[in-house]
Amino acid sequence: MARFLVRAVLVRCGLLVVISIIAFAVVHLAPGEPSEVDPMNPLMKPQDIARIRAAFHLDEPFYAQYFYWLRDLATGELTSFKDGQPVLPRIWERFQNSVPLFLTAMLIVWTLAFPTGIRAAITRGSRFDRGTTFGAYLLISVPSFFLAYLVILWVVNTFDVPVIGMRTFGFEGASPLRVGMDRLWHLAIPSLMAALSGVAVLSRYVRSQMLEVSAQDYVRTARAKGLSEERVVYRHALRNALLPFVTLFGFLIPGLIGGSVIVEQIFAWPGIGRLGYEAILARDFPVILTLNFFAAFLTLLGTFVSDVLYAVVDPRIRLE
Amino acid sequence: MTTKRWLVAIPFVVVTALVQSALWVPRYETQGAGNPGRLTTYIDLGIGDAKILNPILSADSASSQVTQLVFDGLIDVNEDQQWKGRLAERWETTEEAYLTVLPGRTLPDGSPATAAAVAGRVRAALASGRLGSLAERVQAVERVPAETRELEVSIVEADADGQPVERKIPARIDAPERVKLSLDRVVSDLFEQLAPVVGEGLLEQAGAEAYLKPLGEAGPADVAALAARSAELLPVAEHNPVLTFALRRDVRFHDGHPFDAGDVRFTYEAILDPKNISPRTSSYEPVKRLEVVDDHTVRVVYKRLYSPAISAWSMGMLPEHRMNGEALAREAERRGLTGEARARFSLRESETAQHPIGTGPFRFVDWQRDEYVHLARNTDHWNGPPEMENVYLRVVPDLVTQEVEFKAGAADGYSAQPHQAARYRVDPRYQAVSTPTNTYGYVAFNLRRPLFQDVRVRRALAMAIDVDQLIEHVLYGEGQRVSGPYYVNTPYYDWDTPLVPYDPEGARRLLAEAGYTPGPDGILAKDGERLAFKLITNNGNPQRKAIMTVAQDAWRSIGVAVVTQAFEWTVFLEQFVNALEFDAVVLGWTGGDLDPDLFQLWHSSETNPYQLNFAGYASPEADALIEEIRIEYDETRQNALAKRLHRLIATDQPYVFLYSARATYVLDRRLAIVERDASGAEEFRRIEAIYGRINFFFERWRKLAQDPVFAEEG
Repeated sequence: MARFLVRAVLVRCGLLVVISIIAFAVVHLAPGEPSEVDPMNPLMKPQDIARIRAAFHLDEPFYAQYFYWLRDLATGELTSFKDGQPVLPRIWERFQNSVPLFLTAMLIVWTLAFPTGIRAAITRGSRFDRGTTFGAYLLISVPSFFLAYLVILWVVNTFDVPVIGMRTFGFEGASPLRVGMDRLWHLAIPSLMAALSGVAVLSRYVRSQMLEVSAQDYVRTARAKGLSEERVVYRHALRNALLPFVTLFGFLIPGLIGGSVIVEQIFAWPGIGRLGYEAILARDFPVILTLNFFAAFLTLLGTFVSDVLYAVVDPRIRLE
Repeated sequence: MTTKRWLVAIPFVVVTALVQSALWVPRYETQGAGNPGRLTTYIDLGIGDAKILNPILSADSASSQVTQLVFDGLIDVNEDQQWKGRLAERWETTEEAYLTVLPGRTLPDGSPATAAAVAGRVRAALASGRLGSLAERVQAVERVPAETRELEVSIVEADADGQPVERKIPARIDAPERVKLSLDRVVSDLFEQLAPVVGEGLLEQAGAEAYLKPLGEAGPADVAALAARSAELLPVAEHNPVLTFALRRDVRFHDGHPFDAGDVRFTYEAILDPKNISPRTSSYEPVKRLEVVDDHTVRVVYKRLYSPAISAWSMGMLPEHRMNGEALAREAERRGLTGEARARFSLRESETAQHPIGTGPFRFVDWQRDEYVHLARNTDHWNGPPEMENVYLRVVPDLVTQEVEFKAGAADGYSAQPHQAARYRVDPRYQAVSTPTNTYGYVAFNLRRPLFQDVRVRRALAMAIDVDQLIEHVLYGEGQRVSGPYYVNTPYYDWDTPLVPYDPEGARRLLAEAGYTPGPDGILAKDGERLAFKLITNNGNPQRKAIMTVAQDAWRSIGVAVVTQAFEWTVFLEQFVNALEFDAVVLGWTGGDLDPDLFQLWHSSETNPYQLNFAGYASPEADALIEEIRIEYDETRQNALAKRLHRLIATDQPYVFLYSARATYVLDRRLAIVERDASGAEEFRRIEAIYGRINFFFERWRKLAQDPVFAEEG
């Protein structure tokens, strides 16, 4: 076990370095320069452009630029091209904005998907099963941004309440309860939109897992013992069906960074996905690369956590 | 069975908790209910977040929107499109002129020229009345002794990738003695008037390069580079216009610190400081030096005649006491910066660019990235406090949800899309303010291509496009045709220049006149050369793509074969526009107000790769006008020259000038401009745009509890 853990960590560290180099090359090979370098601005003369490029080390070779980035990241003194501010506190700040959205969406996904999937499996072939199947495929097929627009328009035109952003503005004088509820409302629609396709996919998983497990010998045995149907389904079948989902938790972690770009963009949510999107548009290399670095880190962490979790919950698996 | 109950109960509770919160949220019609502060709060929607809140460092519109409210410039543009004082109470323009007397030259009477002799002759000529009204302008004639100074001359070269790289040559200038004339206003043709007195030979620039010497290891290239710049480094006949600003005495920064001439000097030095990498540096390049005369007087001495230079002083003034070297060193210390981070620490990294302190009508409160910037009224403003107590500049990056958010009452104003504008103008629930913008779209031809060298071909291509239809269908009618290179909101636009008529028949006739006859494939050809080219633009701008398609179709119908393609913006710039490798491009220009200088866009010296006259327009007549406009200090004459230039370029047709889009701002209907008469009685006036600026009177905007009743209009 210990040997496995050490090896897994070392391999992942090596991978992280390789990923960061590839990402660095891709970002720099892509056409375009930081938006601060703007040759189409009549107010900027070639001297100004030369100075800006020199200040950002853009006139130096790739390996030197990679070294500067790594060094500044390590010392925590990495600054954005866009505004000269430190990158790490900025990412942390945005991360904190994304967390409530991510957690609420996950809460909705996991709490809605299980009852739906289980019921569909139990009543296989029923109207409910066919209805949820249709609904799930609809949600998977319709692009989420399109659905989000429809929902926003419907909510605003019908109920006349604002839904965009993290809060309603000009509302500071109101009571804390109202302000809190206002924040919750602004969280509700975007997290619901972010969750919908997740609910659809996960409820399908739950359904097929339940169906598979229900056909197992031990479920038949439980029924043969004369246990109540509820006990059979929720204790014997569900518990075993849960196994693969434990590992899914690990894979969810990187979703914190990349999972919500579209929702954050549409709902003007100042989260980490939008930070990355804006940075890409502005060719803000330090921010893009650092975000990419953390996304890679979280992905590797996710695979590591699922490997370990799998071994923990399933005694049949041994890590060597 | 508990598991089952939990599985059903939890999602029910979660969804109910989320949905019921909608009941607590305010609506458009009930914004003020339980929340009276909403009426003194203005909430604006924008697409992008501000980048950096320091006026000398920002170049994007979202940042400028904030810094214009937080900072004041020395001057500003008034309702009549003239400069008016802001932090400067008044200013005057005078001149110091120098005539360098190069040893070895002679005066018209054959005697050797010395500064004393030249000064004597000029004084005598002025006294005799030979020079007419110049005698009234000249306040003093003095001799200035010879001097030696050392400096670094900056040369920009292209590196292997064609990117500009700066190199510095250390040099010494042994300036011979000079004659200085002080004048009470700028006399652009001073030396032409003096020529008969001192002799043409004395004014010749050739020969001055002998007094420029590179220092250290310098090759012949450096010597040549210096010689090429001799008119700039050691001008023989030199105009030094001088702007003297008298500053207001009652101005304080938001932290209570008084504003004075030291802050002006600091702002100027901060812009020039290479560590700050200000994108505005070039606007201050013509400044020779800035002198603080006393606490409330600043003198700016310019290197040469350049009348548009005054516009640089609309720049927001920075607080020296918070941003100078000591303040930055303290901040670097507090933040525990080390080594290189400390060495490069500048205003760009400083917290002062995140929490700005200025003298403007609003003070900065808070900035949540990609969410909002919050400003509050500056009750201590020298021009009286503005009406709004709070201003939020919100970021909603999606154009569809912007409208939704506005309609829900969570914003008071936003810039509507063209397709929304017409509907808002007739919607009584909102008010819409519409104005032409300082932009225009165009199709530029690469005039280096033989195909486009005949003006008849260019004119025929322009005549084939129905621009009115384009405005109708691409902009939903939200635009107007333009005839030439100046923006419609400026006094330089010549309204008498006729628009090119839509006339496909005339276009065919013109092409026939130019020698083009239909070939076997229906495409016009001349001497076996088909009239065929490629029209390109950038991706991501649907209007430009539409223009491209419409133009292709229009040209096809008069027998011109056009291939079109759209490229990603940076590829488009790097490989086609900057490299001058294109036939024709669809693009647009956006500009500021009150800048008559078209040098970079249209002068023949700006036609190299990476320069902005990529069309390659080179007209000696236009060059002369452009240069004359730059040195003309009389506003009326300058406007007349600009109008002539506008007409000239319109006639030469290096671009097909298309249209200037209109901007429509949709506002809460309860917003109005408050006017107070002498007795303090208030009247309300409809919000209007002044020369493209919708928020021109923003400081006097107020949101009323009921629909406003407007004063008599007209």
